[in-house]
Amino acid sequence: MSFEIKEIAESAGTNLSNLFDFSSFAVFWKEGPTLYLYQDESCPPSFTQEVKKNIAQVWSVLGEEQIDVDRMDLQIEKPKLKPRAFNIDSQATLKSHLTLPLAIEGEIFGCISINSEQSNAFDAQDLQFFSVIGSQMATTLKHFQRFSSVKTMAIYDTLTGLFNRRYFEERLGVEAQKAFYGGASLSLVMIDIDHFKKVNDTFGHTEGDKVLREISSLLKTSVRKKDTVARYGGEEFILILPEAGIEESLMIAERIRRLVENGPFEVGRARINLTVSLGISNFPTHRAKSKEELVKMADQALYDAKRGRNRVCIYNPVSH
Amino acid sequence: MNAGPGSKEDKKIKLSIDLVLDLYSSLLIEIWEIVSSLIGEAILSLLLNLTTQKLKDKYPFLASLKITEEGIAWNKVREECRTLSPIEAHRGFQSLINHLFHLFSALAEGVISRELFPKVFPKVKEAERILFPK
Repeated sequence: MSFEIKEIAESAGTNLSNLFDFSSFAVFWKEGPTLYLYQDESCPPSFTQEVKKNIAQVWSVLGEEQIDVDRMDLQIEKPKLKPRAFNIDSQATLKSHLTLPLAIEGEIFGCISINSEQSNAFDAQDLQFFSVIGSQMATTLKHFQRFSSVKTMAIYDTLTGLFNRRYFEERLGVEAQKAFYGGASLSLVMIDIDHFKKVNDTFGHTEGDKVLREISSLLKTSVRKKDTVARYGGEEFILILPEAGIEESLMIAERIRRLVENGPFEVGRARINLTVSLGISNFPTHRAKSKEELVKMADQALYDAKRGRNRVCIYNPVSH
Repeated sequence: MNAGPGSKEDKKIKLSIDLVLDLYSSLLIEIWEIVSSLIGEAILSLLLNLTTQKLKDKYPFLASLKITEEGIAWNKVREECRTLSPIEAHRGFQSLINHLFHLFSALAEGVISRELFPKVFPKVKEAERILFPK
């Protein structure tokens, strides 16, 4: 369950408790193959089980897929809803409920329900209020869903799942500020796959894309948590290594070079060996005056590495 | 011999179909007014669309009911029903209403039914009495 959905569910649950007298509030949400049930903390397990069964039944009555309650992959979130504390008897059973589909433009993506251990706990006025809250919640949830997919498209490279160049520029701006004004070290590593054109020409672009994805995932697992890995363009990648001096950057770059060299990579039915060339620039060692200059230095170091291929070069002002 | 267009038999059938459609359109308008005030037009139109989709294999004419948040448009279904037997149309609409009631009670147990029954149930009975006089 994404952070936004949790936030919205928690906010709705808190506000609902000021409007209605109910035992529990639940949000049922389908995200990919997983079904989530959001319920307040004080619900005893037996009550949760009944709510789960009931909501799954409503889900199938609504024409969605049949859910085997005992087998479903259900993640139950149980935050504490404030300010009201729910006190449900541990032996309480579900006696009444109001459940509404969460839908936008004819598409059902979940349900919300308020549940009670009392019989006939809700009336028409409760339903009116609840439906207004339900439709507000559906709109907000859909808005967040769209916003997060736009956000994803804006910062990620769709082929590799790495950050895109735009995000790289933005991130570098932040890290460069920290380094230039705070005096911290900052390194860039520019990476290029050697003879990648041959892979595309021999095996086709689909296989070439597969190689790009494999190398991307190798890069992601080879860096530290605070590092940024981005696709710079084509078969070029770039790493931002905050607070990394030359030695540490060299260690990371060498690790990547060796990992790629030791491949092999599956391309179609063949297994091929690949290599990468890497160029490193560092602040303050190379005295870059701007982030653009730091990128240019890494690019020049890569140019040097490309002359022999399958090697790591550190920016050398003498050769440029 | 089949009754040709404009024959007495044909007029009788058309009249009956029109009667069925009039009865059920007024019934559905009544349901719409009561339930939309409880759960809103958006959810109600969604539920009605779900129901007609579910029943369209058995009663294809129901798929021509155009349901939006504005309400139910009857023009197309009136056209579609021209060739339909009144009994078939009645069964289709009856099934639609039964499914809707089932959905309402699954969602809100007795809350919707409690509001609907006193106003709609007499109309259902009246419709049956008109369509099937003893």
